[in-house]
Amino acid sequence: ELTKMTTLRAFTCDDLFINNIYGIPFYLQYLAHWPEYFIVAEAPGGELMGYIMGKAEGSVAREEWHGHVTALSVAPEFRRLGLAAKLMEMLEEISERKGGFFVDLFVRVSNQVAVNMYKQLGYSVYRTVIEYYSANNGEPDEDAYDMRKALSRDTEKKSIIPLPHPVRPEDIE
Amino acid sequence: MAARGHVQDPNDRRLRPIYDYLDNGNNKMAIQQADKLLKKHKDLHCAKVLKAIGLQRTGKQDEAFTLAQEVAILEPTDDNSLQALTILYREMHRPELVTKLYEAAVRKVPTSEEYHSHLFMAYARVGEYKKMQQAGMALYKIVPKNPYYFWSVMSLVMQAISAQDEKLSQTMFLPLAERMVEKMVKEEKIEAEAEVQLYFMILERLGKYVEALEVVQGPLGEKLTSELQSRENKCMMLYRRLERWAECNALSCKLEIVPFDPDDWQFYILYFDSLFHLIDQSWAPPQEGAHSAEGEVHASTAQAISFMKDRIATEEAKESKHLRGPYLARLELIRRLRVRSCPEAQQLGEPLELMFQFFVKFGDKPCCITDLKIFLDLLTPDQHVQFINRLMEAVPLCAPGEDGVALPGDTRALQRHLCVTQLSRSLGQQHALNTEGKLGLIKELKAHYQHGLQFGKSCLKTELQFSDMYCLMAAHVYVDLWLETGESNMLWQCLGLLEEGLSHSSSNAQFKLLLLLLYCRLGAFEPVVDLYSSLDAKHVQHDTIGYLLTRYAESLGQFAAASQSCNFSLRFFHSNQKDTSEYIIQAYKYGAFEKIPEFIAFRNRLNHSLHFAQVRTERMLLDLFLEADISSPLEESVKSMSLCLEEDDIPWDSLRDNRDLTVLVSWDPKDRQLNEEHKQRSLEEDTLWLRLRSLTLRLIGCVSALTHPPASRNSEKTTENGVTAKPSSLQSLLSQLENTLNQATQLTEKQPQVRTALSSGCCQCQLSSLQLPLHLQELETTGLDGFIFTYFYFFFLHAFPDMLEKCKGDLLEVKDGQSKPQPFLLENLVYFVESVCIVLWVSNYCGSVLRPLKSSLQKKNSSLQSLLNQALEHIKSQELSLTALELGALSLEGQTQSEVQTFTKTAMDKVHSSYLRSLQEIGELLKKRADTLKSLKI
Repeated sequence: ELTKMTTLRAFTCDDLFINNIYGIPFYLQYLAHWPEYFIVAEAPGGELMGYIMGKAEGSVAREEWHGHVTALSVAPEFRRLGLAAKLMEMLEEISERKGGFFVDLFVRVSNQVAVNMYKQLGYSVYRTVIEYYSANNGEPDEDAYDMRKALSRDTEKKSIIPLPHPVRPEDIE
Repeated sequence: MAARGHVQDPNDRRLRPIYDYLDNGNNKMAIQQADKLLKKHKDLHCAKVLKAIGLQRTGKQDEAFTLAQEVAILEPTDDNSLQALTILYREMHRPELVTKLYEAAVRKVPTSEEYHSHLFMAYARVGEYKKMQQAGMALYKIVPKNPYYFWSVMSLVMQAISAQDEKLSQTMFLPLAERMVEKMVKEEKIEAEAEVQLYFMILERLGKYVEALEVVQGPLGEKLTSELQSRENKCMMLYRRLERWAECNALSCKLEIVPFDPDDWQFYILYFDSLFHLIDQSWAPPQEGAHSAEGEVHASTAQAISFMKDRIATEEAKESKHLRGPYLARLELIRRLRVRSCPEAQQLGEPLELMFQFFVKFGDKPCCITDLKIFLDLLTPDQHVQFINRLMEAVPLCAPGEDGVALPGDTRALQRHLCVTQLSRSLGQQHALNTEGKLGLIKELKAHYQHGLQFGKSCLKTELQFSDMYCLMAAHVYVDLWLETGESNMLWQCLGLLEEGLSHSSSNAQFKLLLLLLYCRLGAFEPVVDLYSSLDAKHVQHDTIGYLLTRYAESLGQFAAASQSCNFSLRFFHSNQKDTSEYIIQAYKYGAFEKIPEFIAFRNRLNHSLHFAQVRTERMLLDLFLEADISSPLEESVKSMSLCLEEDDIPWDSLRDNRDLTVLVSWDPKDRQLNEEHKQRSLEEDTLWLRLRSLTLRLIGCVSALTHPPASRNSEKTTENGVTAKPSSLQSLLSQLENTLNQATQLTEKQPQVRTALSSGCCQCQLSSLQLPLHLQELETTGLDGFIFTYFYFFFLHAFPDMLEKCKGDLLEVKDGQSKPQPFLLENLVYFVESVCIVLWVSNYCGSVLRPLKSSLQKKNSSLQSLLNQALEHIKSQELSLTALELGALSLEGQTQSEVQTFTKTAMDKVHSSYLRSLQEIGELLKKRADTLKSLKI
């Protein structure tokens, strides 16, 4: 369903006073390097609805230049409005313009809701990364899916052919 | 750690083990290894620096600094030494020394791109904008790369931003920056998007909007591609600044319809803004040609109404995926037409009916409440009941059960019902109920809450229960009742309900926040500590919500916990300074120029935070009250704090109030909502309190410095720490404290709900005791005896017994089978103890200057001793009576033995145990103080 109704704008430092889970250096690093990839959605009443942050990375020569989704978050009361899909679409568009071959993201294998949402948005599992998420509270480390969606530059959709075997975190770039 | 490139260099091989030790945190071994190496290779400077790093990290700052300076003075030009020194200086928080280092390096190797670029970054770290400008140009001359040139341009912009004199910015720095860019434009040397962005920034700051528009719309504008709609957004902003409403209107209209993003609220707002400007200007389209550069313009109410109708018709034609925007924009248009008394507003429909239709479409979405809340003022008061009844028609509920409450059958129905309930509270309907009505409402809300729990049985621990909001709202109604009736029973039940809610939904932050606030109001700090830590506050939140905790921390007598909570916040603030400079530098590297002033403003916002100043001050006071003259002499404690007596380090004129005062959910109607005036008053009170506390702190520092004037051989160091006191500073601080107290008295008259300390007279008492040293200095020794006598007479026979009297009473007063907390007694007790501390320090000082008067002082001391004994006895008896109090025996009115009562009991136990602990901590401190009295030199 698409009922997002929002104001979309660039993330600024003042937003850190409302949303700040990863620590200031993390946000500032993205703002300094990829400000265009950092977008917030604001409700008509001024509430922060959600945000997306990402970056562009990878080697162009090896056709690995791509957009990466670092974080996507929507406040509970603004879910089921199509906001996440809209923010993803924007990140894909930015990556298109930068001449990326694909967009990728990591998601916990247990997070079925998110995996399904990304599948609906056209993403597929490219590979499994073993014990990508370090555990806390004594629970075991968790695997991640590296999910990808090809952009128009990858005409043959080579970038999303799934790898046959899982990889370890130290093997990914 | 950096700098381990060239493997062939034998020095690298020799240094490697030291790097490894440092990397692994084995500083002792690193030092040993460095010593070993230095024996063989005396001139291996880098080893010295690495040793200095090891020393610095093991707390030997002075040694580390001396060692580093031995190398720095040689002006090294090897990478290893330079980088190691950079790391060391950064860890010492002396970034200005890095600039000296690279200034010397570029002098010796003037063609090094690397050193010049390090020098630029070193200046950037300390904000030396003028030198950055020169360093950038010097770099560009050596290696003509565009980024270097634009670093220099950006440094000019920063000079403009930081200039005190706005005229200087507008007539010198910015025009110079503009010319520098224009030169590159003329020579067709502009390469990157960042360069165009910077050009745009300069023109914007110069107010040259027409020129800026030309840049954005011209060939240079084609480079603005990274950000989505970058050119459109910039044009829109400029049209607004230039008041080109026709273009603004046409563009917003276009952007609202374009398929890429047809639901952006900001464009509706711009559309309406521009529309009414055009109407006011009686704008008419040109005779021929296009309406505007951006296409068709709407300039009449009729056009706007038909535009809205079209948008709605498009939505209505859709089977599903309706957008909310057009419906909300229609309400917004009605509001604006009504403000202008336009009768055409009626053509869009009756708001009540339109909001009902909106509710039918979107009522099952949690955001429906925030959507409709902003349009409630379109309803007249006599429509309120009708409105709620109308909405209830669209809430499918099952037939009422035996308790008479009709309940929803699924989560969608629940969401709808919840939305109506929230709107009803926002309209003030719940507030209008009498006590009986409110109790009935609570019963109903609880029934909905309990019933709704069944839908969330499979919820994860991290998820909220669907019906949590009912529980929270019932708690709000309890609070209403408590405030209205003053019956503490309402508060106990409220706490019980929230504790119950938390047991079902352990990550509900709203439950925790409200509990935290209420426990604090009750003076029970013990449960608050766990609640706050379970909120898992992150980073900036220590600033925005930390006040909830630290405001109460010290005054409730749980000193250890208070220290800890100040530390949470302080740790965050201290890391901020270092963190931001790194990213300012990165922003230069990546050409994110517009972020640089933003980062700096962010850093200032945190550094100037009111809360930062508060925790800094309270933390130091706490340390003194708890430690000074107990575990170490007062002067030692003061010295270790780098307390500055002469100069105030709190930026009073630019204090930033970063508190998030709306962090707790509220559905209160407009007239009960927190408004600007409330915020202003709260800020005023907090600032005043901070001023009192910081003056008290500095005065204590003065007393200590007077008692122990710094010895001359140490003078340099002591000045560095700022602990020197002159009678003049004592006098000026005292008169400031007096003025502030007068202001506080005025404030107390206006606002009865200020801090207990302001109304209890203890501040006055603290002031009087701090005045003594000044009087002593002013008066000749003759006649002093009588004066001192009067002075102590005042304290020990009047002020202190009065204060102690205000501490007496039962913390938990049991009356008619109910227990009523009296937390102000606890606060008074804490301030009493504080005042005792201060008087003891002052007596100590008096003792040091008035040896001849020993005997008369001793007499007074014995009366202080007996007063402290009284206080200790009072605390002991409170502890005993609290321990004896059987909370279980208290009847909880209106409640049967049930699970609910268990939670209420839990809450009571928490308050009870917290009071006991506070008493114990206060008692212990007082005992320690009483012991120091015995050993007082006089």
